Parts: sequence; structure tokens; C-alpha cells
Amino acid sequence: MMSNRRCTTGNDMGWHGLKCRLVRTAFVIACMVGSAPVLADKPVFILEISNHLFMPAEIVIPANTKVKLMVHNLDATSEEFESYELNREKVIMGKRKAVIFIGPLAPGEYPFFGEFHPETAQGKIIAE
Amino acid sequence: MLLTSVIVVLREVLESALLISVLVALSGTLGISRRWVMWALGLGLAGAVGFSLGINTISDWFDGVGMEVVSAFMQGIIYLLLLAFALLVLWNTHSTRTGSLLIRMIMVLIVALAVAREGVEVLIYMYAHTESLPHFIHALTGAVIGAAIGISVGVLLYYLLSYPAIGKSPTTGLVLLAFIGAGLLSQAVLLLIQADWVPSHLPLWDTTDWLSESSVTGQLLYVLVGYEATPTAIQVAFYFGGLIVLLAIAALTVVFRSRSAEEVSG
Repeated sequence: MMSNRRCTTGNDMGWHGLKCRLVRTAFVIACMVGSAPVLADKPVFILEISNHLFMPAEIVIPANTKVKLMVHNLDATSEEFESYELNREKVIMGKRKAVIFIGPLAPGEYPFFGEFHPETAQGKIIAE
Repeated sequence: MLLTSVIVVLREVLESALLISVLVALSGTLGISRRWVMWALGLGLAGAVGFSLGINTISDWFDGVGMEVVSAFMQGIIYLLLLAFALLVLWNTHSTRTGSLLIRMIMVLIVALAVAREGVEVLIYMYAHTESLPHFIHALTGAVIGAAIGISVGVLLYYLLSYPAIGKSPTTGLVLLAFIGAGLLSQAVLLLIQADWVPSHLPLWDTTDWLSESSVTGQLLYVLVGYEATPTAIQVAFYFGGLIVLLAIAALTVVFRSRSAEEVSG
């Protein structure tokens, strides 16, 4: 009947307590293993904004895959990442980071620009 | 620089101006005082200021996609309020005029939410040009011109909709609201795709070669009917679903009006 006892967070040093701890550890490991592919399935690309320029100005990403774009705005002023081709629009405040998910994209070139400084802030995503 | 700020501000102002002018014109049709619009604008501008002050905090919500989620949520609410508004208008044409306070409250909320959402974009844009005074003056001049054009278009639409032949029935206004509402719904879905809350797929079609979204016509159609050159299937489904529901209500107002006219003549 011992095995039917419920696991509590108390310090049960006996066989039952050990079993509970094992189950709990196994659960945590399973969660970590299970979530690892979820975290890893979207490739991350970093884009920086500095002096109203995008760096790098060209980013090559895999086609037909959703990717996570981390945009770091190193300028003190805000900028808006905008692209008609990518259907994306997002404000990144000065000295801050932002996340933009893009794709899946068919192979091709997708220009983007900074709406607040379009004369200098230009770039493109190349899906291949 | 000047032209950029004209276009940026015009686009934001136009989106709210169209919604406001249709609703104000419909107030005239329904015999409701137009004073509610002042409350709505005040509330909306206050909301935009509050929103922009909290922008850094809001942006960080939900692992950095807070802005998308909050904006999508606001647009979803605007659609639902438009739906409630259309149903109340239908009810008004069907039976005796009731619920004018409720209609006014709904219109205040719709306009306040729309102004807050578009206003925050204008405020952030202006804030981005505060690094030097000449920069700011350029941006401000462009913003004033853009806002003036947007408001003029709104006023023009208002007078067009108030023209006796159109203004007698709420149908035209409701049809316009159906397109605006469907566009908002499709934008909300797009924001949730950008935030990775809704799965994204390859676009259903690509009409860029036919009409680019960056062209003047493309941008105008984007504001008017929510035009997208490369929409995904989920966006298309929400757009047409939202459109059909509101268009059906607009069509019913015609049926109810002709029926009540028959009753009066009979």
C-alpha cells in the first residue's frame, strides 16, 4: 500500500521519498529534453541598427523555414523595421532589442528598410 | 525626410480618419448627437500618450512581442465593437429607436481605441526625430502636412456620406465599416503571426507584380480595404469571414428598411 501514498514536497527519506524524487527528476529531465528541440527549431539571426544603418545589410536564411530575427538597436533613437515583401512592421526603441519572427519564405530576396530613416537604413533578407 | 514624415503620418491618420468620418456620418443618419466624437478623441489621445510612455514595458511582455499582442488584441476588440455597433444599427432600422446611449458608448470606444493605436505610432515617430532641432522641425512639418491631408480626406468622406441620397440609410456606412473591420481583423492575425502566436505558412498568393503594397494605390487600398499582396491562408479566412458577417448585417438593413416602408405605406 506504500506505493499508493501521494508524493509531497516534504523530506521523506524512505524508499517512497526516493521514488518520488526519482520521478520528479525524471520529469524535469524529460521536460528539458522535450523542450530543447522546440527552442532550437527556429534559427536565430542577429541584426544590428547603428547610425541608422542595418548591419549586416544582407542576411541569408534558409528558405521555407520560420526564423527568429533578433534586432538590436544600438542608436539612441527608435527605428521601425518595415518590409512590404516580408509583411513585417515593428518599432525598436533606442538602445533596445526586439524579436521579429519571419517566414517561412519561398527562395528569393526580400528587401526591408527603417521607416524612420529610409534614406540610409536599407537591407535585405535572402532566402535560399 | 519631409516626404517620409508626410507619408508615415498620413497613413496612420487616414486609418483613424476614415473610421471616425463613417461613424460620425452614421450618427447623423441615426439622429444621434455628434458630440461623442470629442470624448472619443480626448480619450484616444490620452490613451496614445499613456501607451507611448509605457512602450518599453509593453514591448518586453510575452518575450519581446508585447506590442504585437497588445495591438492585435486592440484591433480584435475594435472588430467586435464594430459588430455590436452594426447589430444595434440593424435593430434601430428594424424597430423603434432605442439604445442610443449604448451606440454612443460603443462609438466612443471604437474611435478611442483606433486613435490610441494609430496615435502611439505617430508619437514614437516624432520621438525618433528629437535628436536635433532641425530634424524635429522637418519631421513636425511633414507630420502636420500628413495629418492635414488625412483629416481633409476624412472630412470629404463625411460630407459625401452625409449627402441626402446616401445619408438617409445606414447601408453605405455599414458597407464601408465592413471593409475597414475586415482589414483590421486581417492585420490582427498578421501581428499574431509576427509574434509567433499563430502559425505562419507560405502566402496563399502573390499579387505584388500586379499591385505592389509599397505603391501609392497599394497603400491607399491597404488603408481602405486592408489590401495585402502576399496574405497567408489564415489571414484570408479571417478577412473574408469578418467581411461577410458585417456585409450580411449591412444587407439586412436594406431588407428591414424596405419592409418597414411597406408597413408605413400599407
